[in-house]
Amino acid sequence: MKFPIRYRHFEKIEKHAWLLGILTAFMVSLGGLAEITPLFMEAHRVQPADNIKPYGPLRLAGRDIYVREGCHVCHSQMIRKLQFETQRYGPYSVASESVYDRPFQWGSKRTGPDLARVGGKYTDAWQREHLIAPRSLVPESNMPAYPWLAEATIDPADIQARMRALRALGDPYSSESIAEAPEALKNKTELDALVAYLQGLGRNRPSPDALKGDAVP
Amino acid sequence: MSLHWSLWIMFLVVLNLGITLFLFLWGTRVSIPTREDGTTGHVWAHGTLREGVRQLPRWWYLMSAGTFIVGIGYLVLYPGFGAYDGLLDWSSRGQLERAEERNQALLAPLLEKARNGAPSDLAADAEAVRLGGRLFQDNCAACHGRDARGNTTIGAPDLLDDAWVYGGDEKAILASIRTGREGVMPGWEFLGYGRVKNLAHYVSSLSGAPHRPTAAEVGKKRFDACAGCHGPDGSGNPAIGAPDLSDDAWLYGGELDQIMTSISQGRHGQMPAWKGRLDEAEIRLVAAWMLANGK
Repeated sequence: MKFPIRYRHFEKIEKHAWLLGILTAFMVSLGGLAEITPLFMEAHRVQPADNIKPYGPLRLAGRDIYVREGCHVCHSQMIRKLQFETQRYGPYSVASESVYDRPFQWGSKRTGPDLARVGGKYTDAWQREHLIAPRSLVPESNMPAYPWLAEATIDPADIQARMRALRALGDPYSSESIAEAPEALKNKTELDALVAYLQGLGRNRPSPDALKGDAVP
Repeated sequence: MSLHWSLWIMFLVVLNLGITLFLFLWGTRVSIPTREDGTTGHVWAHGTLREGVRQLPRWWYLMSAGTFIVGIGYLVLYPGFGAYDGLLDWSSRGQLERAEERNQALLAPLLEKARNGAPSDLAADAEAVRLGGRLFQDNCAACHGRDARGNTTIGAPDLLDDAWVYGGDEKAILASIRTGREGVMPGWEFLGYGRVKNLAHYVSSLSGAPHRPTAAEVGKKRFDACAGCHGPDGSGNPAIGAPDLSDDAWLYGGELDQIMTSISQGRHGQMPAWKGRLDEAEIRLVAAWMLANGK
């Protein structure tokens, strides 16, 4: 049988570093093209689950504080499809729950527990005290304290600007809801905002029917 | 997944496998021209190093063949080849559902027993108490503490003593867990520092705690206002969650300054409702654990 490729073909590739580099990059990229591009290009097709709404001004402020303080470094918001996780934290997370999270807060490491469905598990008073002095409630906790949140105020104009930015990205904020934002933020501290954000986490879990229709891999 | 992307993935998978398989089958058979000394003529270090031509080792052939077999086998059995589901029809959701079913089947007899059982009966069942303890640690320990001895910072009561703010019978305990509790005491700061302090001395005297009798005697005159909720003798009222002031259990601490803070600032204690997170069987198991460990 006559082989369709000969030594001189290999010799050419081996002796031309650029050609070798380009062909290597081509082969290596095939896997990425198959696995990443479909998810990347289809991400915009993930629709919010039936009862997932954009964050109100106070919760939006709280979410940004959550990001700023690096809560995602120790807390995930991603309940995986594993029995020991659903048993402890509740129904598994789906993509349609995070549509209004920019960026999403799934996280990749748990020093503390997952927070995807922590909303309502504890009282507001517990959350406040726990953020100010974690060890007063959980002596064995190694979570840092965030006492300054109780004094820091929120600039309504800043939150309005963020709402307009999110609207430009496609989040359905109405002009009225942006105009009413300062009212919702009146006399609120950063602690109020963060607690409001935490208390809403996972409260609007998609209905079981919506979960079944969730075809996103 | 849309047909478009499914075809895209299939094309890339076939292309990738095709090129690597082609190189494996044909590329390894290409004859390499050699010189008389058996080398290719490529030299390094002025001829000290010369490139020889050897057959690739057998283990390399076998291992490479193995990766093709495993890779293709995977694509046949499991989802990965575009929208094709694989012969095993495996999905992470299905795997979770099977695991949960297995677990439910294991727990079913115990949960069935717990659903209709009295917590005091369940407290005698070691398995039920063990499961209740797990649920307690996961759901209740954040406020009441891992040892269930309570926390005066937020007024979470000690659950193992014999003092019960809302009543210690099983019905009251189950109601507390199911629907939560909210206790509100107004603040009496307007009385002024001296009167609050005298009242605090009187409250301390009710349980025999250290106090100044003369101040308590003066404070007693103001206790009428407190008696509406805590009762004339300060023994409390479980119906509205007014604590017994004459025992040694203190939701927010029994030191004089802590009592003064409670009187002047008031207190607002809240326990969330658990019926949405825990089902009836689980609620009863938690109660059973408390009864098994308490006084």
